[in-house]
Amino acid sequence: MNVSLVLALFFNGIVLGLIYAVVAVGFSLVLGVAQVINFSHGLLFAFGAYFFWSISSVAGFWIALFLSPILVAMMGLCIELLLIRRVYGQDPLFGLLITFGFALAMEEVIRMVWGKVAYSVSTPMFARGQLFIGDIIYSKYRIILAVFSLLILLLVWWVITRTSFGAIIKAGMFDSEMISALGHNLPLLRTGIFVIGAFLAGLAGVIAAPLWSIKSGMGTDILMPAFIIALIGGLGSIKGTIIAGLLVGTVTSLAVLFIPRFTDILPYLMLIVVLFYKPKGLFGEVTILGEVREE
Amino acid sequence: MVKFKSTLILSMILILIVGCFYATSLAVEPIKIGLVSPKSGNYADHGGMERVGMYLAVEDFGGEVLGRPIELVEADSETNPDIAARRAKALIETQDVMFLMGGVSSSVGIAVGSVCEEAGALFIATNENSDTITGSKAMKHMFRVPPNMAILVRGAAQYVADNLGKKWYFITHDYSWGQSGTRWARNMLDVVGAEEIGEAKVPMGTRDFSSYLLQVANSGAEVACVTVGGFDGIALYKQMNEFGIFDKMKVWWTLADYPDSYALQPEQRGRYGMMEVYWTATPELKEFSKRVYKNNPNAPVHVTETNSYHGWLGMTALLKGIEAAGTTDVDAVIKAMEGMIIADNMQPHPTYIRPWDHQFIDSMFFGQDKQVSGDDITEVLFSLPCKDYARTISENPVDLTK
Repeated sequence: MNVSLVLALFFNGIVLGLIYAVVAVGFSLVLGVAQVINFSHGLLFAFGAYFFWSISSVAGFWIALFLSPILVAMMGLCIELLLIRRVYGQDPLFGLLITFGFALAMEEVIRMVWGKVAYSVSTPMFARGQLFIGDIIYSKYRIILAVFSLLILLLVWWVITRTSFGAIIKAGMFDSEMISALGHNLPLLRTGIFVIGAFLAGLAGVIAAPLWSIKSGMGTDILMPAFIIALIGGLGSIKGTIIAGLLVGTVTSLAVLFIPRFTDILPYLMLIVVLFYKPKGLFGEVTILGEVREE
Repeated sequence: MVKFKSTLILSMILILIVGCFYATSLAVEPIKIGLVSPKSGNYADHGGMERVGMYLAVEDFGGEVLGRPIELVEADSETNPDIAARRAKALIETQDVMFLMGGVSSSVGIAVGSVCEEAGALFIATNENSDTITGSKAMKHMFRVPPNMAILVRGAAQYVADNLGKKWYFITHDYSWGQSGTRWARNMLDVVGAEEIGEAKVPMGTRDFSSYLLQVANSGAEVACVTVGGFDGIALYKQMNEFGIFDKMKVWWTLADYPDSYALQPEQRGRYGMMEVYWTATPELKEFSKRVYKNNPNAPVHVTETNSYHGWLGMTALLKGIEAAGTTDVDAVIKAMEGMIIADNMQPHPTYIRPWDHQFIDSMFFGQDKQVSGDDITEVLFSLPCKDYARTISENPVDLTK
């Protein structure tokens, strides 16, 4: 057993886990607060990557990094105003179906605009190269991404748990009628959450662009891991999403060494086990289809 | 009597008119060729390019064969064997299409080939490289255009062992084609004096290869022997650069596709690989590249590459076969194609269609990707005739008469 390789894979799992958590946290927030199973989250992720590719090729890395998530957030605003607003308070299946159909249609739009081919984005100059951690060589860009992802997650966590806006959001997860009765603008709150979720999806797409090649189906590819991490962590729980991301990242990374054939199905098995014992996820307080009745 | 005569004349006129219409309808009835090719899935971009080549071959024939117009009917294989088989069956049963062709996934090719074999239709695998297509799964009604993995790996193995390194780590796309690339490289270990250090089997659809690459980087291998294609292959190639693999070892792609190298930024490239065609190899290929670009300016690459070239070659062979047979009878066309030599194939070596396993045999090129922009992104180190490396009948005793 090569101990340094095991440690390297474990470290790689943590890095991957933090990146996965950024993808999943927006999805989890929208699901937890707005009670919408937003299957267009993957599409917004893909748009983040495509905007980044297009803008960076003409305006450079930093402007693309700044503009792309904002453009995706604006898309999120349009989606919320035109589609999502109509399904609040209804069976979660409506939200799932409407966002799924919309995502499929928009994936075709991606193919029409950018074509069916894959694109590759260069890593920015300052992040190119590798670092040695002991006798293990590791990508410098991924380490920078992991730190960046951690900062984003901590910022979201701080907003949700330490600010009055966060307190209202959390309260909205349990009793949306009471939030309205107390004079808060519930539709605006939901719109805000959806836009934040879209921004985070776009940011995750920007992060992923230089890592993985950009292609039209990338949104569908990322949707299932995001869904799984959100459910394992517990809906709306930032802490849960981070821990679930790290869990999925490290387990799948180490599985490549020990049980490579099972790498793909391990996240699903983890989801089954977690939901079997904790239907609300590891740190969730609501379930995907409402309160769990404990009798 | 007068009445009888006029009735006779009228009947003759009627028969003449009906006969003319019947003959006209026969003359204009198009010969339908089904293109079961991916428009979505892992090989969508490859599918788009092979169809460009197929249309150009039809253009070379003036759009007709045996005096009948050629009609190409497209069906998206979605890079999915089940869907491709269903669509091929629908083309045969509902549109009377008896000639089909397309790539790119070998699993898809075998599925469509099986449908054609059962229905008595002809299938030409235009861009599938797995050995099984002309090996254990060979069929009377299936031909394969590009070199198989046996040819490509055996052509490169000695050079790799002598010049790049003798400790090989395999990275295998875990399905029919990927497995056959690694199997042949493994078979060559003793022959060329190399040794196996390890293997990573990556499932189709893998986007992040970091865990695999950490293993490869740590293995002490001198050569990473890679058989991974499509979007997955592009992601792997890119991440190899990210993890500094090119600084630690040489990377040999058993089958290197031009679009995958082209998709990367120049500074990300560095692999060696065996190619089925390279656009600067002959003046004819350079000219053909201009036509490919003119006909499809939105294609991801601006020159011909394996997909568009083999799409063209597969269609050309089929149309020549129909022409030589003088009929659209499938068995007669198969017979005409068996043993056919296509000299005007734009390659250094003519194409020969082997009658006993239906494998096309011509040329291959080994090269290394360059870190330059533009279209000439690979330096060709040498080219080889495929006939010297193809499996012999004793190595691959298939029986197409069964």
